[in-house]
Amino acid sequence: MQKKDIYTLALLIALTITTAFFSNYYGDLKYVGLIILILSGIKFVSIAFQFMELKKANSFWKGLIITFLTLFISIIYAVL
Amino acid sequence: MKTEQIDYKNFYYPPGGILIWILISLELLTFGMALIALVFMSKEDPELFHKSRLMLNTTFGATNTVFLLVSGFFMATTVHLFKKGNFDKASFYLNLTMAGGVLFLILKSVEYYHKVETGLLIDHNTFFTFYWLLTGFHVIHVLVGLVILTYFKFTLKKLETEDLEAGAAFWHMCDLIWLLLFPVIYLIL
Repeated sequence: MQKKDIYTLALLIALTITTAFFSNYYGDLKYVGLIILILSGIKFVSIAFQFMELKKANSFWKGLIITFLTLFISIIYAVL
Repeated sequence: MKTEQIDYKNFYYPPGGILIWILISLELLTFGMALIALVFMSKEDPELFHKSRLMLNTTFGATNTVFLLVSGFFMATTVHLFKKGNFDKASFYLNLTMAGGVLFLILKSVEYYHKVETGLLIDHNTFFTFYWLLTGFHVIHVLVGLVILTYFKFTLKKLETEDLEAGAAFWHMCDLIWLLLFPVIYLIL
């Protein structure tokens, strides 16, 4: 097992619990939606770059994933 | 096992190969657009969508997220061990990966059972139409992923590195799709 993968897993689980907590207890506050989306975005990038080893890939693929995620979060938050 | 060195920096050889990454890009785009459509539709009747969202079990959703994340971690470990030629351990971690997927499906079935029991079916309202379609298609992806992993289980020693990486990328894609679905459907509407 790689240490970095273990740290990534711990981060992912902590962020999952945090997002569920924010939604359950502060769901009505104005910026909670954005915070949840950003935390989920961090989880998304962690899996793509660490578990899927995208960090080793050509910049095009890294840029594609980051661009998609940025657009997705921006559009969802703009519409919310 | 083929041991040739893959140049991942080459545009055509991201981990798993270019074809799986084209598939992943299209899948993310499709689910992403459907989720954006869901949020657009919610603007027509925000109250209905909010009340419908509150009928979902966040604990089930969060637990399922953890199952997929842990399963993804085991998949990454399987690939590392395979590359080192440690097939017995790789096979063990592949079993754990599949166990995570099976646990996800069991909990999802329990969730679906509760929804059916309380009459929250696909035609209940627009929110539940999206809920059933999006989570249902995701479940189909997890099932396909489990079939691929089962095939790997029985052919592990004969596999080439890129084939295992492609299968692993498909499995991780199920995580990525779920990480888009979970916050939008279960948490923020």
